Amino acid sequence: MSAAPTTPRKPSSYEPTTPIGTPQTARISGSHVIQSSPHYQTTRRHSLYGTEDRIIIDPGSRIWKVGFSGEGRPRDVFYACGEGAMPLWSLERASRPAEREEEEKLLEVRLQECLRSVFHNSLLTDPKSRKIIIVEHPLLPLHIKEHIARVLFNNLQVPSISFASSHLLALLAAGRITGLVIDCGHLESTALPIFSSRPLFPHLRTTPLAGSRLSQHIRALLLLFGTYMPPLTSVTAITNLPASSRSTRVPEEVLTDAVIEEIKTRCCVVGSAMAASETRAASPALSTSDMPSELESELDLPPSDPPASESEYSRVSAEPESSLSGFSLVEPAQVPPERARPGETHLQALARMYTRHSTATDLHMRVDPPPTQQSGMGRGTLVIPGWVRERAAEVLFEGGDVDESSVAEVILDSLLKVPVDLRKTLASSILVVGGTPMLPGFIPRLQAELVRAVSPRPSSGPSTPASGRGRPRPAPYDRYAPLRPLLPYFAILNNPAPPPQTSVPGSQNAGKAPAFTPASMAWVGGSLAGALKTGGVEVAREKWDEADAEFDEDDPMALAPDRQFSSPKSILPDWTRTPLPAGAPPAPRAAPNPVVHSPSTRAAVGA
Amino acid sequence: MSASIEYYCPCLAESPHPPPPHLASSSYSFHPLHNLYFCEECDAVRCNRCVLMEVSGYFCPNCLFEVPSASVRAEKNRCARNCFNCPICRNTLSVVASDPEAGDGRMSPVVSTTLGEPPFFLFCNNCRWDSAEIGITFEKPTGLAAQLQKFEDSAPEALEFEHLKEHFEPYLRASSSALPATAAHSHHHVNPITAAASSALARDVPGVGKYNPLSRSRVGRDKNAGKQEIPDYKSRVEIGTLGALGAGGGNSDVEFMRRLEDMSEVAKLEQRWVNSWTASLRSSDLKPLRIPLQVKKSKRCPACRHILIKPEQKSQSVRYKIKLVAANYLPAIHVSLPHAIAAMELMKRSSTLNKSLSSTVDDPSVSGLIPGKTYAFHLAFTNPLYDPIQVRLKKVQPVPVPSADADPEKARRVPFQVSLPTAAFGIAAFAEAWEYEDEEDMFGQDDDDLDMDGHGMATKDGRGKTRAVGVVERRANTTVVSGEVIITKEARGNIRFNMLVSYTYRSDDAEPAEENEDGTPSRSHAVNKAPEMKNFSFYTVVDLGAVVRREGSRSELES
Repeated sequence: MSAAPTTPRKPSSYEPTTPIGTPQTARISGSHVIQSSPHYQTTRRHSLYGTEDRIIIDPGSRIWKVGFSGEGRPRDVFYACGEGAMPLWSLERASRPAEREEEEKLLEVRLQECLRSVFHNSLLTDPKSRKIIIVEHPLLPLHIKEHIARVLFNNLQVPSISFASSHLLALLAAGRITGLVIDCGHLESTALPIFSSRPLFPHLRTTPLAGSRLSQHIRALLLLFGTYMPPLTSVTAITNLPASSRSTRVPEEVLTDAVIEEIKTRCCVVGSAMAASETRAASPALSTSDMPSELESELDLPPSDPPASESEYSRVSAEPESSLSGFSLVEPAQVPPERARPGETHLQALARMYTRHSTATDLHMRVDPPPTQQSGMGRGTLVIPGWVRERAAEVLFEGGDVDESSVAEVILDSLLKVPVDLRKTLASSILVVGGTPMLPGFIPRLQAELVRAVSPRPSSGPSTPASGRGRPRPAPYDRYAPLRPLLPYFAILNNPAPPPQTSVPGSQNAGKAPAFTPASMAWVGGSLAGALKTGGVEVAREKWDEADAEFDEDDPMALAPDRQFSSPKSILPDWTRTPLPAGAPPAPRAAPNPVVHSPSTRAAVGA
Repeated sequence: MSASIEYYCPCLAESPHPPPPHLASSSYSFHPLHNLYFCEECDAVRCNRCVLMEVSGYFCPNCLFEVPSASVRAEKNRCARNCFNCPICRNTLSVVASDPEAGDGRMSPVVSTTLGEPPFFLFCNNCRWDSAEIGITFEKPTGLAAQLQKFEDSAPEALEFEHLKEHFEPYLRASSSALPATAAHSHHHVNPITAAASSALARDVPGVGKYNPLSRSRVGRDKNAGKQEIPDYKSRVEIGTLGALGAGGGNSDVEFMRRLEDMSEVAKLEQRWVNSWTASLRSSDLKPLRIPLQVKKSKRCPACRHILIKPEQKSQSVRYKIKLVAANYLPAIHVSLPHAIAAMELMKRSSTLNKSLSSTVDDPSVSGLIPGKTYAFHLAFTNPLYDPIQVRLKKVQPVPVPSADADPEKARRVPFQVSLPTAAFGIAAFAEAWEYEDEEDMFGQDDDDLDMDGHGMATKDGRGKTRAVGVVERRANTTVVSGEVIITKEARGNIRFNMLVSYTYRSDDAEPAEENEDGTPSRSHAVNKAPEMKNFSFYTVVDLGAVVRREGSRSELES
């Protein structure tokens, strides 16, 4: 702080803060300097980056990737609102108007924070001279798009924004313009067929089985099968107490979102599919008992084991301790109320089966003890059973639910919707992108699941994937029968462990994509589109301002929230507002079966 | 924890009224005074969320080298000299020479570092990581980034990216339409876009050619298929091959993860997520990171584009050429709770006597607010201006009718009632520190104020209140006023309320102002003028701290 310039004075005077001689001249010359020099700088930077260099923003609900077009990797990747914090948006929106309004406001301020940080902290560039490409998920809600556009145009004053479909961009990064892209992100897994760079939006299929569901599942499994050792209360205790006697059930406070995230990204792996008979025997258990329990786990602890099964619990857990001593240290508050639940034995069976088949090692993780247990020294230890590491991702491949298809099923559902003459092409150019496929082994497993779902089923009717629920059905409906001829053609472009080459033409595509990571493909594609000077319809700021002004004239009395919902409608591109063309006649399909959920029920999601 | 106050920045919003303070989204509209700016042209407060920022210079935070903007892009916003971060702990790495030949180097470490033994490497003083582990060594201890540059230039993702670009360029040139093929999905708009889009729809789909039943399957590669369409892209490095080689992504990763014994062997997500190229998961394969540059930013008013902040160019300098901060214009307000301070004092005194009590000093139940009680709070206003100002306070109740006589219905909805001094009070002018003593009571308005205070107190007394609401202290350019808050039984959460502060100051915006600016700004000058009073008001949010629940106070406080 320089002494003279900062001397406070009347609010209306320039003098105190302008260190130059007489205030009057300072005012003029100062403003001249102000006017000219930064302008000069911006023009210079213009030439530095080139006017055509775009900024590519891949905004996820949790993780954002940002950078300049023409570069092979994003400049910066960051958590949109801190690690372990709530995602920017979720699949739900508040229904009450007041809450909705608050949610919108919160979203806008958080988006504003993120977007400002993109320019000011990550890219260190002036937003006013940069055109933006937003990598847009096809199901990104329009209100979020509007918020993004509003912040970019009004607050940051960027010259133009284009929105480009993330699936298409990912496909570009794989060097193709035709393919079936499945984006397995945090909130959703979305499959979208693209032909000749035209996304076939009506055939889009989505499922909520994705990263956040996996996180929930890991949490539920750890609460049931993990082991926690609180920090030692004193140094001497190290020698006195064997580790096993300190083991307790995992307190829920230990499993913060950040811890779960770390487990997911550093410990988890996707094991290869198990023999069909074993998996299928257990899968009804998982879908009936485990899924509810994990939904519930957001609210309260999942059920503890009934006493009878505790021996199994100890067998499952890392330490060969007796479960009685293991629980002896648990304070009453942490032990969930004992409740008998149906299906727990299934869970136990599942755990036992996975334990038997898993070769993954148990891991010890240092975690912060829960605040209520701060007595000890240092950090506690969380023991993650090996099978949890290896089998947590099973939840993504558990199909059979009408509303929540497995990741493989969502691909097949989409493929069923596609015109028949495109199916072969698309089936042999599947591209898997998004953060969740970064799990080692995910893509090979997906390939296996695809093949299994389409393969001719064994005669044991009800245990087939398409009819996963345990309920008996009149006849197993063979949902993917029309796809069966495609079986040899299935190929995942970015499969790091492609199946052995066959002579079938399409399957040779497997593993032929460039080795970009699945998570960054959409961004890389955006960068490519920017470098090739394509990348979606540009919305220029003038257009936006016009629309904004028009709206204000139309309805000056409009309340803020209304305005947010309706203002830029005509400006932002949005495929869902396209009147759907009649399109090709539907593909001939097996005779409609009343039991089956028709694919059109899912169309509501896309619309 | 304790009471605080934040100032409202409207951020160009249409409505001048601040959002209700209890909403989570509102906290983004309120800022501590020291984070705010003041635009003189607009006569308005500006904050970091609404000002326009411009880069006024790049520099490396480690070596403080001012990077010319020409090299900023080439270096991808990173320091192009010797500055690296540890990939494990993000500490700054230092360049270390190899151990010299046995014996002689040990004697004179200075010599050995200045001369250095040829293979230099980077070393982390914090976690003892060194770059020799991953095979990065340097021939000379300077210009390390330049030595690494050649590896970065030949990074596989950069090469693959160029390859992709070459692959698509002819295809894009072929599609002559102004509208790129990638935009075809958003073709339904009114105005010119629609026109362009419909023409785009009408034209041949590039890569498909004319519809031809024989060639409809691209991958089938029938005789005619390949003619018109874009040839299949041949990756430089196919992920399948990479996976088979065990370089990452393939079964080797799965096996590695299965056999993992120690989590720290796997790199954190944050350590790998910038990599767009499939690479090893192991933390032992992480590369040193070039330190990202930082910028000096100048900030402009979003409305009138006048500069609010302009730093000096030099990276070493922490001064500003222009600095219009709100603290120079708005009175600073400090909130305190006398009962909490008293309690603290008491605690401190008793804790010195009795050590065992010391752990309870920060116990919220002592200094916190208890439902059903009435508390006084003090607002200390400090005037930054060279002229005395008159301040008037007004509370803003989110719920309509902020009537003092709480009827039960209202009381149920409003968990607390705040009384503020209603009369205006004066704050003496800011003066240089050495002038204080003499001039403290030179101002005429003091008497008036005191009268008003008396009046205010009288009304309170009339209603049988014991606490005073009014000016409690005056010293130098600070005036302390007292308000009180009545907390109902149902109250919970934080006691926060919006307060409108209006102050009247002597303006010299008009004609005489310009002469005024010639002279040294001084009290006497201002007094001589026929004062033209101007008014400025701003909103604040006062947070008096959390209401303590008698049972389960802890969790209550955290939420």
